[in-house]
Amino acid sequence: MGLRLYEEPKLNKPVLIACWPGIGNIGIMAVDILRRTVGAEELGEIEPWDFFYPRKVLIRDGELKDLEFPVNRFYFKKTEKKDLLFFIGEEQPTDGTGAYAEGTKAYKMANLVLDMALKFGCRRVYTSGAAVAPIHHTVRSRVWVVPNSADLIGEVKSYENTVLMSDIEGRGGQGNITGLNGLLLGVAKKRGLEAICVMGEIPIYIHGFPIPYPKGSKAVLEVLSAALDIEVPMDEINALVQQSETEIESVYERLPSEIKEQLDKLKYVTYARPSEPGPITEEDKKRILQEIDKFFKKEPGGD
Amino acid sequence: MSERQPFKLFIKPELEGSPLVVAWNQDAGGVGQKVAAYLNKELASREFAEIAPENFFALSGVSVEDDIAQFPESKFYWCQGKNLAIFKSDIPRYQWYKFLSLVLDIAEKYCKVKEIYTVGGMVSPGAHTIPRMLLSVTNSTETKQTLRQYDLISDMDYETQDGQRPTFSSFLLWAAKRRNIAGVSLWVPVPFYLLAFGDPWACKKIMEFFDRRFDLNINFAGIDDEITKQDREIAQVRSQISELDSYISKLESNLGLTVEESEKLVKELEEWLRRRH
Repeated sequence: MGLRLYEEPKLNKPVLIACWPGIGNIGIMAVDILRRTVGAEELGEIEPWDFFYPRKVLIRDGELKDLEFPVNRFYFKKTEKKDLLFFIGEEQPTDGTGAYAEGTKAYKMANLVLDMALKFGCRRVYTSGAAVAPIHHTVRSRVWVVPNSADLIGEVKSYENTVLMSDIEGRGGQGNITGLNGLLLGVAKKRGLEAICVMGEIPIYIHGFPIPYPKGSKAVLEVLSAALDIEVPMDEINALVQQSETEIESVYERLPSEIKEQLDKLKYVTYARPSEPGPITEEDKKRILQEIDKFFKKEPGGD
Repeated sequence: MSERQPFKLFIKPELEGSPLVVAWNQDAGGVGQKVAAYLNKELASREFAEIAPENFFALSGVSVEDDIAQFPESKFYWCQGKNLAIFKSDIPRYQWYKFLSLVLDIAEKYCKVKEIYTVGGMVSPGAHTIPRMLLSVTNSTETKQTLRQYDLISDMDYETQDGQRPTFSSFLLWAAKRRNIAGVSLWVPVPFYLLAFGDPWACKKIMEFFDRRFDLNINFAGIDDEITKQDREIAQVRSQISELDSYISKLESNLGLTVEESEKLVKELEEWLRRRH
């Protein structure tokens, strides 16, 4: 079980931006755009066979030619401002049957990622994921930020369009970040590295569907580009946002009017500070979700 | 994670450069399980090692199959006097590569293994009266060459489709290749309506290959009896239920069945054969 390096560049205290797939592929889409924007080069990988079941076999003329595993690759970029390390995993390792990392494999992978980061002198890590929130798909996603040290609170508060867990109504600063995007934060803390997880909001009624949510990714991308002082052209993500909105709207239009009316109320919900009584109650929320669930379990196409 | 030794060695086998036959308990028609059991019985095999289940299987309870509580097993057998080893195992739920590495470690250390053969069934839409073929996938061109004189279909092209994943046998072949161990997967088609009952003919096809390849001198009388019995029972069904006979006749003429016809054939044949057993 190990790391494989393609080359050993000299990097100056690089910042690591690590991401695995998760809800709406929010984090990974943002990090991948960032990686391509800066033109990061391949640096190495984590050998996958200890972590994953292979996903593809290639047999030609009765001979096993190749067995393909999910790729977990590091990239690097030296810049005038700061050096960057990227880690992008195609799948989260798990000891169980869930889609999100758990157990010894996840812990080992988190440590391997940090082994690589520390090898190049990294002291700061960003991870990214999704925050499921009672928002409407037409509103701008905000970014929930969670640092692994109280020293970073001031800094993360200064990022535009972000909220802390304590800003979120009813949470009292508590929460849970599932999977490796969260676990890495904890392992980094254990190993003495600063880490911040940035999570783009995804509407509560969309998060269960296996579709990307570029609007959440855009919000994450904005925060990361500001935090890292990297100028990122937004054309690509804007096009993806537009395309996804059209697709979501076409499904939304087919929803029964009573459900749509309920969901429309989410446009006006303020669940994060300053908290004000919103027009939607917890009971409303529960009923909306149940009805939506029922709707999507019907024949494709709905009513 | 347990600190226990990951396997138990019951006895040191006297094996030198022996081939290892690998059979998984989960495969189409139970071919692997049956082949391993038959070889173990006929060749008077002796259990020599066992992989401990705790790191590889969910041990939160037991599963029940056909009314019987199951427990995962991963055992190595030594066919005394034949220089052949057999590994019969459930497919692990976790730590697949670690599990395969352990299998190869044991095979290298105690069998000095040079060749590994996995056996398994694959679902076939054909009739049971059509002679079984034996398909092979090797992990190197050299291995393929060494098997040229056998009657194997060895020109398969295959690529995993979306939503599917490679077989565990493919994973083992790949892992073996990393250690320069020759690997062969043997597959025999099992008619879809025999999946619940097993296909002794398919099992015999694989064992005939091993018999020739390793000069095992296997007594096939037992499996021949099973083939005769099953053929006779299906012939009786055909003579009594004309609809099922017409379905099987269609398959014998290489004509496909509709989903409804296939389901009916499976269900009614299963009910009939269960009543007989």
